[in-house]
Amino acid sequence: MGTTLKTTFLALAVLALPGAAMAGSLENLERERAILLEAMLTPAVDGSERLDKLAIGKRRLVDLERILLRDKSVVGKNTPQVRKAFENYDLTFLAHASVEKNLSLTDHWLEQVGVSTHSLMSTRVGRR
Amino acid sequence: MNRINTTNCRQDARRSSRLLAATVASGFSLCFFVAALSPALAEEQAVWRPAPTERLVKLPGAYLKKAIERDFSESGLADAIGDRDARIALKAKTLADLRDAVNEAEGEVRTELRHQFLAEKREYVKLLGERQELQRKQLRTKIRVYERILRGLERKAPANEATQQLLKKQEEARERLERSTLNVDLKVFGSGVGKESKYSREYQKNLGAIQGLMTALKDHPMNAEAELDGQQVGKKEYVRQLAANAESGMALLDQEDTILGYMAKLVALDAMALAENLDEDLAEELDAEDETMSVSSAIGFFINR
Repeated sequence: MGTTLKTTFLALAVLALPGAAMAGSLENLERERAILLEAMLTPAVDGSERLDKLAIGKRRLVDLERILLRDKSVVGKNTPQVRKAFENYDLTFLAHASVEKNLSLTDHWLEQVGVSTHSLMSTRVGRR
Repeated sequence: MNRINTTNCRQDARRSSRLLAATVASGFSLCFFVAALSPALAEEQAVWRPAPTERLVKLPGAYLKKAIERDFSESGLADAIGDRDARIALKAKTLADLRDAVNEAEGEVRTELRHQFLAEKREYVKLLGERQELQRKQLRTKIRVYERILRGLERKAPANEATQQLLKKQEEARERLERSTLNVDLKVFGSGVGKESKYSREYQKNLGAIQGLMTALKDHPMNAEAELDGQQVGKKEYVRQLAANAESGMALLDQEDTILGYMAKLVALDAMALAENLDEDLAEELDAEDETMSVSSAIGFFINR
């Protein structure tokens, strides 16, 4: 009985706050970027499929990055999420930054997280 | 017959004396009235409830003052001040007429006119006091409105250093993104891999419209920056100056209160002087009566048999 009551109250609370279900521009960008990174790293897809997914994802990312920077509700919104997003432009605005640096999306991201072509080429297989 | 006349004269003199005593009392009561005017007027219906501050904050600086003045002119308080102004002007005319009449009159008519002149002066000071109180009410409301607008403008400014840093980063990010926009459009959408998105197309279309409207807004005369002493100033500075002007208006009203107090005191003293003069006249009359009724004046009855 208690659980049913709690569930009912929770459902009512969710219904009473329709705005809470709406995602902001930052949340949308982060979701899309996460999908793109998954497509970039997953071993479950082959090369051509990965390239298609990255191309589509990049175009969507370009729009979402612009939407975020033009979103007035984010201006001066001093929350940890917004602060973190603007601390590193290269990681948040992945599509624009990669074009700016004339790198592919994957190369740019790997470079930002500390994995470059040069560092990969200079590695060797060994026993730890 | 002579005795009857004397008795009537004494009764008239007493009546006049009572009348003047009432005038003196009313003169003094006027002094107290001016001192404690505010509670009585506070109950009046004359009020001014300005428009919500949120709406005023958004108005251009130069238009702000006009909007507040217009809002005030439509209020009950403005009507009440206008009414007092009209009554004061009429009363001043009556006073001028009475003063001329007093100068030309003589005897009892002159005394009666002087009494009336004093009563009118009392009414005049009372009206001035009422207008002062209403003007004070107006200025107080105005100062409150300006303070609320200032608070509203300050709320719009970044509150702390962390927010300012965030704003700076956001501005840098926006500039960086704008710089790379063309390049991104060429490489991502111009490569033939995919066409421009609907958002991008619509955004560019709307941007053109927005820029056109913004230019029109910037050039609009009602959107011009407010001016102080011939120099353009920001909205915050302008509102602060308006609030300071209203404060100086309050200070002047306080000074005018002192003038009103002196005027009321002069009315009271005039009333006392009038009463004193009449008392002297009465005393002279009584002295004259005493002379006719003196013992020495009747001595002839005893000497000449």
